[in-house]
Amino acid sequence: MMTNSNKLFRWRDPYDTAGTEGLFAAAMGENAAFQAEGCLDYARILRQYGLDPGRLADLRDPAVLPPLPTVYCKRHTLRSLPERKLLVRATSSGTGGVMSRVGLDAGTLGRGLSMSVRVARYHRLLSPTPCHYFILGYQPRRGNDTAFSKTGFAFTFFAPALSRTYALVWREGGYRLDLETMKRRLLARAEGPFPVRTIGFPAYTWLLLRELEREGVRLKLPKGSKVTMGGGWKQFEGQKVEKEELYRLAETVLGVGERDCVEFFGAVEHPILYTTCSHHHFHIPVYSRVVIRDVDTLEPVPMGTPGLVNLMTPMVGSMPLLSVITDDLGVLHPGGDCPCGISSPYLEILGRVGVRDIVTCAAGAAEFLKGGTAP
Amino acid sequence: MILYRGELCEDRELPRLLERLEADCLETIAGQSIDRETVVAACDALARRAEAGDYDSVLQPFLAAFSIDPARFREALFLFKREALSYKLAVELGSEDLPDLTPPGRAPIRRRRMPLGVLFHMAAGNVDGLPAYSVVEGLLAGNVNILKLPAQDRGASLLLLRELVRLEPRLRDFVYVFDVPSTDLQSLERFAKIADAVVVWGGDEAVRAARTLAGPDTALICWGHKLSFAYAVPPVPDGDLEALADHICATGQLLCSSCQGIFLDTGDMGEVHALAERFFPILQAAARRHPPADPALRARATLELYARELEADSGGRRICRGGGVSVTAAPDSQLELGLLAGNCWVKPLPRDQIVPRLKPRKGYLQTAGLLCPEGERAALSALLARAGVVRVTGPGDMSRTVPGEAHDGAYPLAAYTRVVEVS
Repeated sequence: MMTNSNKLFRWRDPYDTAGTEGLFAAAMGENAAFQAEGCLDYARILRQYGLDPGRLADLRDPAVLPPLPTVYCKRHTLRSLPERKLLVRATSSGTGGVMSRVGLDAGTLGRGLSMSVRVARYHRLLSPTPCHYFILGYQPRRGNDTAFSKTGFAFTFFAPALSRTYALVWREGGYRLDLETMKRRLLARAEGPFPVRTIGFPAYTWLLLRELEREGVRLKLPKGSKVTMGGGWKQFEGQKVEKEELYRLAETVLGVGERDCVEFFGAVEHPILYTTCSHHHFHIPVYSRVVIRDVDTLEPVPMGTPGLVNLMTPMVGSMPLLSVITDDLGVLHPGGDCPCGISSPYLEILGRVGVRDIVTCAAGAAEFLKGGTAP
Repeated sequence: MILYRGELCEDRELPRLLERLEADCLETIAGQSIDRETVVAACDALARRAEAGDYDSVLQPFLAAFSIDPARFREALFLFKREALSYKLAVELGSEDLPDLTPPGRAPIRRRRMPLGVLFHMAAGNVDGLPAYSVVEGLLAGNVNILKLPAQDRGASLLLLRELVRLEPRLRDFVYVFDVPSTDLQSLERFAKIADAVVVWGGDEAVRAARTLAGPDTALICWGHKLSFAYAVPPVPDGDLEALADHICATGQLLCSSCQGIFLDTGDMGEVHALAERFFPILQAAARRHPPADPALRARATLELYARELEADSGGRRICRGGGVSVTAAPDSQLELGLLAGNCWVKPLPRDQIVPRLKPRKGYLQTAGLLCPEGERAALSALLARAGVVRVTGPGDMSRTVPGEAHDGAYPLAAYTRVVEVS
């Protein structure tokens, strides 16, 4: 079971999408057949769109699998494995208070680990040198299942952790923002021999750096220090944070160069680790494929045309998350357009679906006012 | 950008300006007042200049960049003209001097209509220039106005208000515009504290947030978030459906007065399905006559319709979709927001159910577009009005804007003033 998927997730070059087309399709077919057997709802959907669950093994084009919109995943908990086989549970940060609940089994976690190690190694994030972590997010605790608190914590294993400092700490029954401690420790670590890594939403990172710049902080963090970011820019779209401005701040305030500013992207419903290249682009790794779909017809559109982002991966065994459509609008660019040397195409996220400026991801961000509507 | 007493300032000057805002407002209230004529004349001059093309170098690229229909823009401009404003004042406030109060057996008491003082406007961003219009209403009532621009503002309001105070410097001290984000609670609380009333345009969340900002001594005046719909009595003529489809596509269903769906005077789902199937091609044809809606909105509707298509249990719904629009026939008689951008519903609602079904949606009802034989219009209008609807129109002019019209059933100028009695 899942032999093709396991093979795919152990592929040597994480960006050899051209060399893995056949294997990817085989892994998708294999997983789709497995899901159809374990999840009645998924089998029904396949049949509804003219696919015979018994003949998925010879799947040639994974794009024909009906993609599940994340809104559907939020309304239904789809399972193809019994609850007891799920080792890790995560929830998305929630759109309008509704969250996707995802449970992952041992096989899925194994593939995830294999992927993370390969991607992290490729991007030189794996390091035996211990470092100090500054996490601009929640301190993990029982009861906080949002994916960010988990992934944020998981990233602190790429290099051995000497310490972990959290911006949002649990105190007296609630999370509190503690930038003071963060600042104090950052100043202390700059003097030490070990590298520092910051992890957090880009917007939080930007806020911290701007705050430090205002206070005249000018550090030169030890060599190997990195600013890593994940979770998207959406919460702070209104503030028009330019990435260039953030890189400038990282250089000025922390002494961390642009090359050491790395961004991650992923979704609870699609737990693939997308990592920016040296030119800050999200190239598609072998573990997934991206189809951009027309906003009206959902038909695939050619490279370079914006549309809905459909993410495909055979990674997850416990749930039929083979092909999901997110609430993002994006565009695919040919790999050759990026000078970094990775040949696989890269994905650019353009924004969210819906009424502009209505902010949906409230994880940790302050209460936002919705853009109103007039009579 | 910030507009502060006629001066354009950088956003970074916010802390300095916040420090002195209250004192400046109080100084204005103590020493100055504006009369209606000053405001009317200034707005009229502004509208006429805009019409004559004085601002074309700025306005034309702006209208083109955001594909704003020039005809709609001219319509909006009319609302700033003397005839429109004078008429509005006459309808909403009557004459400035109220007749004396003469209680039996007592000396007469003089009455005067006075501004509330300072208004803090939290405006909506779905209509360009609406934030500026909210301020103009505040000015007509004689108030000092603090405007927080909506996040989606594309610059029209700041441009209009800056021009207005340039043309009439006497209005300078009565207009403050700040471009602070909704997350800057500290500044917003400061504005609300200075204000006599917070004027909020927007949905439940905006209203809820405004309630937390406004102290118990500050009035809250809310406009929107409302829902509008069409009410049709079979047999529905094609012409009426075409007018309704045009209205739906022209407004993108984004306005409070935009039709979200059609209630049909029937209890028979067969008739509902038949109307949905008839309306679908008419809506498709209308969509082709209008520029396509925002891709992000279309994408959301497409995703939602697709997600519904995946459901094992359709809940009795039947969806016609294609050509960027959709019509969903559903058996429930609930008033709900459509998926916007040309995606509407058709539901059964026999006339004896109008009050029981719609009255519980109090506070959300706005316009009903009525598609019925002439002979039934008066009775149905009355029934819809009793259910809580504040405006009954024909199918094509649900979103008409005319001077003197109430906002959601109330007159803003009356809300922005108070009656002072002096004996």
